[in-house]
Amino acid sequence: MADQVRHARATGTPLRVVGAGTWLDAGRRCDATHRLELGHLTGITRYEPGDLTLTARAGTSLAEIARATTAEAQWLTLDAHGSPDGTLGGTVATASAGPLASAYGTPRDHVLGCEFVSGTGDVVRAGGRVVKNVAGFDLVRLVTGAWGTLGALTEITVRLRARPEDDRTLAVEVDSAGTAWSWLRQSDYTPLAAELLSPALSARLSLGGLCLLVRLGGNAAFVRAAGDAVTALGIATTRDAETWSTLSSVEPTGTITLRASTRPSRIGELWPRAVEFAERAGGYAHATVSRGVVRCVLPSTNDPEEVRVIRDGIRELAATSTIVGERMPASLWTPSAHKQSSAMLVGRVHRAFDPDGIMNPGILDIA
Amino acid sequence: MPLNPTLAGRLAAIVGEKRVLVRPGELRTYESDGLPGYHVTPSVAVFPGSRDEAVAVVRLLAETKTAFVARGAGTGLSGGALADDVVLLGLHRLKRIISIDADNARAVVEPGVVNALLTAAATPFGLHYAPDPSSQTACTIGGNVAENAGGPHCLKYGVTLNHVLALTVILPDGEIVQLGNADGEDSGLDVLGAFIGSEGCFGVVLDATVRLERNPQSIRTLLADFHSIDGAAHAVSAIIASGIVAAALEMMDAATIQAVEASIYAAGYPTDAAAILLIELDGAAAGLDVDVERVAGFCRDAEARAVRVATDPTDRARLWQGRKKAFGAMGRVSSHLVVQDAVVPRTKLPSILADIQRIGAHYRVHVCNVFHAGDGNLHPNIGYNANDPDESSRVHSAMTEIMQACIDSGGTITGEHGVGLDKLPYMEALFTPGTLGAMCTLRDVFDPEHRSNPGKVVPVHSCREWHAAPAARARTGRA
Repeated sequence: MADQVRHARATGTPLRVVGAGTWLDAGRRCDATHRLELGHLTGITRYEPGDLTLTARAGTSLAEIARATTAEAQWLTLDAHGSPDGTLGGTVATASAGPLASAYGTPRDHVLGCEFVSGTGDVVRAGGRVVKNVAGFDLVRLVTGAWGTLGALTEITVRLRARPEDDRTLAVEVDSAGTAWSWLRQSDYTPLAAELLSPALSARLSLGGLCLLVRLGGNAAFVRAAGDAVTALGIATTRDAETWSTLSSVEPTGTITLRASTRPSRIGELWPRAVEFAERAGGYAHATVSRGVVRCVLPSTNDPEEVRVIRDGIRELAATSTIVGERMPASLWTPSAHKQSSAMLVGRVHRAFDPDGIMNPGILDIA
Repeated sequence: MPLNPTLAGRLAAIVGEKRVLVRPGELRTYESDGLPGYHVTPSVAVFPGSRDEAVAVVRLLAETKTAFVARGAGTGLSGGALADDVVLLGLHRLKRIISIDADNARAVVEPGVVNALLTAAATPFGLHYAPDPSSQTACTIGGNVAENAGGPHCLKYGVTLNHVLALTVILPDGEIVQLGNADGEDSGLDVLGAFIGSEGCFGVVLDATVRLERNPQSIRTLLADFHSIDGAAHAVSAIIASGIVAAALEMMDAATIQAVEASIYAAGYPTDAAAILLIELDGAAAGLDVDVERVAGFCRDAEARAVRVATDPTDRARLWQGRKKAFGAMGRVSSHLVVQDAVVPRTKLPSILADIQRIGAHYRVHVCNVFHAGDGNLHPNIGYNANDPDESSRVHSAMTEIMQACIDSGGTITGEHGVGLDKLPYMEALFTPGTLGAMCTLRDVFDPEHRSNPGKVVPVHSCREWHAAPAARARTGRA
């Protein structure tokens, strides 16, 4: 891998870093002429159940990790939307998160260490495989979510959790996002996940109306009491845990997806506008309420008029929220919706690790 | 570094004469941080009283190309805040809590806010700031961010990194940047994550937006005492493997217990125990006692002599005070103390503790273990007399061997104290030249002139060698 990057550097060949290829259709600009294939780097290289840590090569699928850890009553609490064939490397490189981020955070809260080949062709082994580590500067955080622009991840160590003794999912209809937020804010029972579904999405899951899907985990006594507390919101029905994977699998392929986020307390204002935007375009929305993140899923389109309407909608949302694109037609990616005030610093970091601009060039719109 | 004679005057013009120290007698106050054994004196110490003053000071230091070390309360345990003949920039006067947003459970604070005072301010809202280093009654949020500080309750709630949403920082060149996003998701490069734990080498925090945690409905503190360290270590492994996430899971050995019990911080620990575990479980009342009973069972299975459960706040506070003041208690026993902070995979605890005992006996040194067992974060400390060259040399050999054993177990050299100056010698044992080189590269981005906390974290010669040899690396392909 390092040889390939050094060769690309020497020959001025821009590389597209490819794992399972899940993100290739995300529509992001990438001015690469060659691929740096990581899909063959598969397999769990170290798994110590007693340490609750696991090391795997970057191309290992989340499904394979789930199989290995389930056997030990453990799990990697990263449930990014999309196919379970997605890779650990892709999940970390894109910092993808799902409903469980409500309780467990995003990839930056899970990655303990990693190996990557930087844009200079150097092999870097950052962090380690212990759960607490401040030795040296934090290169792990730097490459998590960097979309391969600083280097290609080759191996990753993550923190695991024990599966809760009892894992129960309840669906409850609520009258507004604000109601869901208020309940979560005051409840003594922190759920593993609490995802609000727009009516169009609820219908796809055979649920009704504006629905809050709550996942409770812990010992039996905790889950029983927490379940009782959920009924304060309305009549709750028990759903099986598969509802969560269905939430991902009902998503058509090739959709336009983007996230709007705000301070969690403002979810009550953001939610109706995001839902209106998504459903007007024939799509749906769901929100990780406690994080203040709404994800809008729209049917794919290349129709210029429809794209224009979506672009206007994004602009309106962006006036009061932070927009992060997941998959969009190339025409929607520019201009970048979210500019960091640290853009100059980000550019300097990027040039330091990839001085020749050969790693996924252009993908992050870095100045 | 010879002090520019006009610099002190120009600093005084910004912060006032009383806030600039130049006399050796006054500067001696700042010759050490929380780790005894190092004594170096700053060339000048300057204490801005506001954000504007801090910005003006950093910009003057940039203009004059002056090296400096930012310092909060100086409670660090790795020599990270030592200023050896460079300017010491004290930030403890920037102590405003700018806002508390109870709805979103967050606060915006200046860097000099004392950790425990933030929790005190959040208490009326039923909130607290979770990272709780033992020095929390003195240490500052700015220092916590610089060190990515931990503490006993980080086992469940996460370290400083997991609690900072955004920072305003001034880079060593005087540029002010916002890192992170307090109003939504942060995307793109996680520069915020890279800054946290950069030990003052990347710049100075002007304000921090931090996440607060809701106070748990119920708390139980267990005190389990053991005949052997090995028994306690096995109990820890059993608790971790069970999936019960304790809020804190701390171990203290006989030497530490005796030091604490002989001090004003006596907590009622059994002085004849080989080891005790201090275990806290918190959360919703429902189901909590089920977990308490299971944890107590794991301790008994590991041959605990007794397990006591404290629910009363005064009783719990007393148990915790002994733990939090353990380092202070050791200070009574000997004049000098080496403090280590290694981390090992949690399954390796029983074997590494046996190794440490063996190494201590071999070198005839007095090792006290007090640490965050649930994280595998060890603090093997050795009290000694620095005026005894033979003892000093044995202590040094023992520590080097202990650190190597931790690295060999798949561990790391610091879990929460930082590298600073004290752990520099171990960096090359832990990281490859390629990794150290990447760290140097990152430092150069933030501080190309190496003026901000110079000489810390990454050995200077590693950076020099790395920068000197890119062409050679490209040829040989060696990282």
